[in-house]
Amino acid sequence: MRLAIWANGRDSERRQPVMRAAIYKKFRWSAWIALTWLGLGPGGSLGHAGDLIVAIADRAGKPVPEVAITAAALAPRPGARAPMPEPAIMDQRNLAFVPQLLVVGVGAEVQFPNNDSVSHQVYSFSPAKRFQLPLYKGAQHRPVNFDKAGLVVLGCNIHDQMVGYIYVTDAGYYGKSDAQGILHLSNLPAGDYTLTWWSPYIADAPEKMTRTIHVAEHEPVNIQVHLNRELRARPEPGARQTDWSY
Amino acid sequence: MSRLGACAVLSGLLWIGSASAQDRLDVTGEADVRWVSASGAPSYLNGGEGLLRFDPEHEDLRLGYLFLDARLRLTDSLSAHVIADAYGDHDRNVVDLSEAYLQWRPFPTNAIRWSAKAGAFFMPVSLENRGPGWTDVYTITPSALNTWIGEEFRTIGTEFEARWLGASQGYLGDVALIGAIYGWNEPAGELLADRGFGLTDRPSTLFGGIGEPPEEAYHQVDRRPGYYGGLTWRHHDWLELRALRYDNRADPYAETTTAYAWHTRFSSVGARLEPTEHWTFIAQYLDGTTTTAADIVTESLFVMNYRTAFALASFKQHRERFTVRFDDFQTHQVSGYYGLPPNELGHAWTLGWMHDFGHGWTTAAEWIRATSVFPPRVEYAESDGLIESQLQLAVRYRIHASL
Repeated sequence: MRLAIWANGRDSERRQPVMRAAIYKKFRWSAWIALTWLGLGPGGSLGHAGDLIVAIADRAGKPVPEVAITAAALAPRPGARAPMPEPAIMDQRNLAFVPQLLVVGVGAEVQFPNNDSVSHQVYSFSPAKRFQLPLYKGAQHRPVNFDKAGLVVLGCNIHDQMVGYIYVTDAGYYGKSDAQGILHLSNLPAGDYTLTWWSPYIADAPEKMTRTIHVAEHEPVNIQVHLNRELRARPEPGARQTDWSY
Repeated sequence: MSRLGACAVLSGLLWIGSASAQDRLDVTGEADVRWVSASGAPSYLNGGEGLLRFDPEHEDLRLGYLFLDARLRLTDSLSAHVIADAYGDHDRNVVDLSEAYLQWRPFPTNAIRWSAKAGAFFMPVSLENRGPGWTDVYTITPSALNTWIGEEFRTIGTEFEARWLGASQGYLGDVALIGAIYGWNEPAGELLADRGFGLTDRPSTLFGGIGEPPEEAYHQVDRRPGYYGGLTWRHHDWLELRALRYDNRADPYAETTTAYAWHTRFSSVGARLEPTEHWTFIAQYLDGTTTTAADIVTESLFVMNYRTAFALASFKQHRERFTVRFDDFQTHQVSGYYGLPPNELGHAWTLGWMHDFGHGWTTAAEWIRATSVFPPRVEYAESDGLIESQLQLAVRYRIHASL
């Protein structure tokens, strides 16, 4: 039923198009259409622009929010350069990373403010990015540059229960599913794409979390993803008692 | 332990703290004042045979505690921690320390993170005492099990931890192996033989003593280090399991002019389940043996077994917390002579309520009813059986500062 609503366009009209590249915002629709018609759009492919709407649902058909979704052109136009990714923020609030999952493009600068009343020591030893960032209150920190695609798992050396994820992608189009489990990507050049999705709560095998799709000209493409396995247990929302630390 | 040691620790911290920089010193302090109503026998803290903290002779307005819990960051990996506290009872030091240690915890560079503590600190048994100053976050008085841990045990030595950080491997949880070697714990077990298990929020301090007359808890008697080893498993943020094996390896025949050695060993397991943000369930079990050469004539060994367990359920909604707990405890003489057999058999019910007013103000109310039988009581009372109850209403104010 939901798919039918999207096809009519009513649901998608209520949503803002999700454009992750800063350059997109600088162009009006007319200029954007002209550029893509000329084949100069970011991630440039062969044809005209189309919309991609991805809906993620679990085995019971319930929408799955906060899923990282990327679309990478299978045959990017030679010489096409990926747009500069937007700077992003990974906050610390109530002894948690906010958001828990951040999706950024390769080369993104990520700020790590500390809005808690206690100190944090953020670290990652993931191959995609190794860093150590002591976040003492009142101290200023330079943003961290994520220059390699891959999953970066964040931890706090003081509060072991804090876990966060930065999904760094070199795909041209990306975002996260919303509360309805939907991500709307606009103005993808027509062509074939590798669609990939990931969340720490999805238990499917990695090879099951990708598929090839085709984006056609001037018409939205609706992709419905049904997960194969039960989701891993998601922590209950709300702050819990944690052992005293500094 | 000498007062010289306390002075050295405090002086060192002040000296290091003089070079304070941004967010280097973190201090939390709390004052707890209570209205108390109690029935039963005089508390063992006042020289009696009662198991609770207060008694009919020590009612009405009382100091619950004052504490300062301070952390000084020396480097990103090294910090110094101190808990200074006061209880307003017979302790010969008005203010004393219950913890003073250095902690080394470097940033992890792979899935195993090593860390270490050196100094004097509580061992990782209690699943209730999660607050600053080793306070119970569920009700005023910890269980009989954790009361005893606070009274007779302090790791005065070094503890190492190797923690597998599961998040990096796709598992939301971690597993930690813990090991420690320590000294100054040879007298541990004597209070249990003298009194049995008790229920108070009055842990011992490092340099003072508890009871009337106050007895120091920490002595070096035989210079044989003890050990404990433990395992902790945290699954997501809603389940924590702990197991620990403790053995102070004391020579039961050793003694000094001020203390006897008690060879005390036990196994402890515990689980905390938080299925939702509102509910917490905790269960802990401890089972062990203590041995000492109490009979100086025959030098036969006095051996006593003990075990205790409790189950706790706590519900938190907005600013309110409600807790109910059942404690069961017993001690049993196996052999030897230590006066009348210290065979304690008892249980206790605890009901607690806490309300957070915000801005540092909280209030807590607690009712405990403890029923116990302890044969040595007949030396002081008409019966070895005792039913005690205690109602406490505490007002607390907490401060927190970072310099």
